[in-house]
Amino acid sequence: MSLEPQELNELKSKIGREPTSTELQIVAAEWSEHCSYKSSKRHLKMLPMKGPLVITEKGYDSGVLDVGDGYVVTAHIESHNHPSAVEPYGGAATGVGGVIRDILSAGTRPIAIFDGLRFGDIEKDQQARWLFKNAVTGIADYGNCLGIPTIGGEVEFDRCYENYALVDVAAVGFGKKENLIKNHAKKGDIVVLMGGSTGRDGIGGSQFASDSLESEDRSAVQIPDPFIEKLIIEAILEARNEKLIHAMKDLGGGGLSCAISETADALEIGIEMDVDKVHTRESDMHPDEIMVSESQERMLIVTSKTKFKKLQEICKKFRIGCSVIGIVKSDNQMHVKKGKKTFANLPTDVVANATLLDLPSKEPAYLKNIEKEKKLKPISDYSKIMMKLLASPNIASKIWVYGQYDHEVGIRTVVKPGRDASVLRLDNGKFLSVKIDGNPKQCYINPREGAIGCFEEACRNVVCTGAKPIGMLDHLQFGNPKDPEIFWTFLESLKGLTDFAKDYKIPCVGGKVSLYNETPDGPIKPTPLIGVIGLIDKTPQIPQIINKDDCLIIVGETKDELGGSEYFEYIHKFIGGKCPTVDFTESKKNMKSVLEIIPKKLLKSVHDCSKGGLAVAVSELSMNNQIGCKVDLNKVPAKKLDADRILFSESHSRYLLTFDKKNLSKVEKILKKNKTSYEIIGKFGGEKIQFSKGTKSIIDLRVDKAQKTWLNSLKDLVLHG
Amino acid sequence: MATYNVHVTIENKAGISDPEGETILNDLVLKGTHKTVSKIKTAKMLKFTIKEKDKKTAQSKVQEICDDLRIYNPMVSKVTIDVFDA
Repeated sequence: MSLEPQELNELKSKIGREPTSTELQIVAAEWSEHCSYKSSKRHLKMLPMKGPLVITEKGYDSGVLDVGDGYVVTAHIESHNHPSAVEPYGGAATGVGGVIRDILSAGTRPIAIFDGLRFGDIEKDQQARWLFKNAVTGIADYGNCLGIPTIGGEVEFDRCYENYALVDVAAVGFGKKENLIKNHAKKGDIVVLMGGSTGRDGIGGSQFASDSLESEDRSAVQIPDPFIEKLIIEAILEARNEKLIHAMKDLGGGGLSCAISETADALEIGIEMDVDKVHTRESDMHPDEIMVSESQERMLIVTSKTKFKKLQEICKKFRIGCSVIGIVKSDNQMHVKKGKKTFANLPTDVVANATLLDLPSKEPAYLKNIEKEKKLKPISDYSKIMMKLLASPNIASKIWVYGQYDHEVGIRTVVKPGRDASVLRLDNGKFLSVKIDGNPKQCYINPREGAIGCFEEACRNVVCTGAKPIGMLDHLQFGNPKDPEIFWTFLESLKGLTDFAKDYKIPCVGGKVSLYNETPDGPIKPTPLIGVIGLIDKTPQIPQIINKDDCLIIVGETKDELGGSEYFEYIHKFIGGKCPTVDFTESKKNMKSVLEIIPKKLLKSVHDCSKGGLAVAVSELSMNNQIGCKVDLNKVPAKKLDADRILFSESHSRYLLTFDKKNLSKVEKILKKNKTSYEIIGKFGGEKIQFSKGTKSIIDLRVDKAQKTWLNSLKDLVLHG
Repeated sequence: MATYNVHVTIENKAGISDPEGETILNDLVLKGTHKTVSKIKTAKMLKFTIKEKDKKTAQSKVQEICDDLRIYNPMVSKVTIDVFDA
């Protein structure tokens, strides 16, 4: 129970009497940070949410984008951090389940899953290894059972997540515009609860997610059942085709309390329900428990009495539970009964709209001197450092992770995971590219520029496939918002994202805020995660094998921006310095040029420079193609930087283009026309990855050796410690 | 020192759902003619053979191993340990 004294007083004055215990439970769940967004909602309004392709409808849990020819794409992002920190397998799996039901509730079929995972230092921390291994298995087992491909994501390790886990899941849906559920209801309609039975699992989960994680206070465990979820998907889509659904909502945090109150509030109706009608797993459940249980795999549907018979038949066919639990009224009240006895009777606008807070913010003291660099130990052998970076958990290939996910089921996957962004084929001949990106190391050093960087990186990744960004999802994860310094970092990140979204005209189509992410050692680093959805009209850039004598061009400038880089943090164990910033004009120019070249089919591949900088990006190209590469650092557009800065700076807006040298003049022509900053920095061939500065050799590595280390080190670390 | 067989049974705690058990009940057992069955719960069993000085030590040693190696998640699972003479 986490209603604060002033909230209790407010509730009393709004309803003019003492609340019952059931009412207290319902309101505590709905007014929790997790459901009400009370700390953040006031500020989230600054994000641009409209655009020519955005379709808005009341009560949608996911963003809807029009992709032409009568088709829509839906997208949503969620996290399951607290449950995953306690039970990583079930927590991560049920996280996937929740976001999929959000996609389903708009009336679209889920076609892809993405996950962003963050844990503590797995090299030293056994608990982090256990969390990582089980969260990955949970996602794989759940997604694979559903027959929905998991096609992208990211994995990162940082000490700030010690004894904790960030499990973010995004999903994308696809469907016909005419099949979208137009949420509506009228007096006399009936309210149906469909899917799994209601049990005692996950009781109080949303409040749990809104409190900091104390070491022993870990209740709320949720058990996944992907087979029921699969049946729900098919049953709902059949009911949708038969036009049996007036309105629909997934049961997530806050269980029935939130689903009933939010549906009623959004549709401006009242709902009278009877807890005796809910199909329960145990016979002795109290109404309070039924109202706040967060049992998984359940959907709330509003339909008419005449259509219910058909809906019941569909549920019977798929052998899933379906009970009529209530009726739609016109009094805007949420009335909960058990038989004839009333347990709660509250105005829905009171329940669904917690009073929004206006929390104070203050620039954190730690930021004052963070940009000052310490003197770094000179590096004598860059080849050795390079091997160390390729083996480091944040840079090593994530094949051990995505190799466990079925990423091709559904036969839409055109570009598979392991590249910049995956690409899906749509039924109208277009292609969809989606990527999620976060960077807590940079966001810690500069919450505003760090967040913008995540946004640009996600855009860059979809641009690498030839896609134009059309929508964005944001997932803002921070510590306790009541700490003004933490709240300041939240606001700065949000303002940065808003500026970027407005300038690039990329609307925010969905998002989530997760606060109170604290471990016994303190708050996590600011971790905004950005998902970008891109659309390709005709030709996706499908990576082709790079051959001997192919050219390498870098687009964009390399700057002295190593704050938050893997080189500083992993090699020099130094947190600080200046983090990369995005120059909007340069960034847009580079994107435009790349998007202009790709459809001309001149390129073999486009790869972005991010974690580990230019050195890692070039090595990835070499290792993926098993061919050597020679790069002269003197040719890289950079203002007189030392070799290590050019190699490892994580400056944004940079792309590596590879192509047959016969296309050189055509590629250059477009770059020159757009006045893009670029340079030919090397060519492929041989069996070695070689970086030199003029005649001086800096890095000299065998491709096969580097590849072996890069591919296997994460797996070895997880399985053998 | 004597040899003992130690059986460790790991099952979901009461009140936590057990999709596997429910599926076996609904989709296998009740589809036949075994209408007298009302519940099936799944569990995992590990059988240790261990040399210790007495039964009690054998039990506590196995408990310790399971706790240390995170063979089960105490948040989710109930563990029962039975010791038998080998």
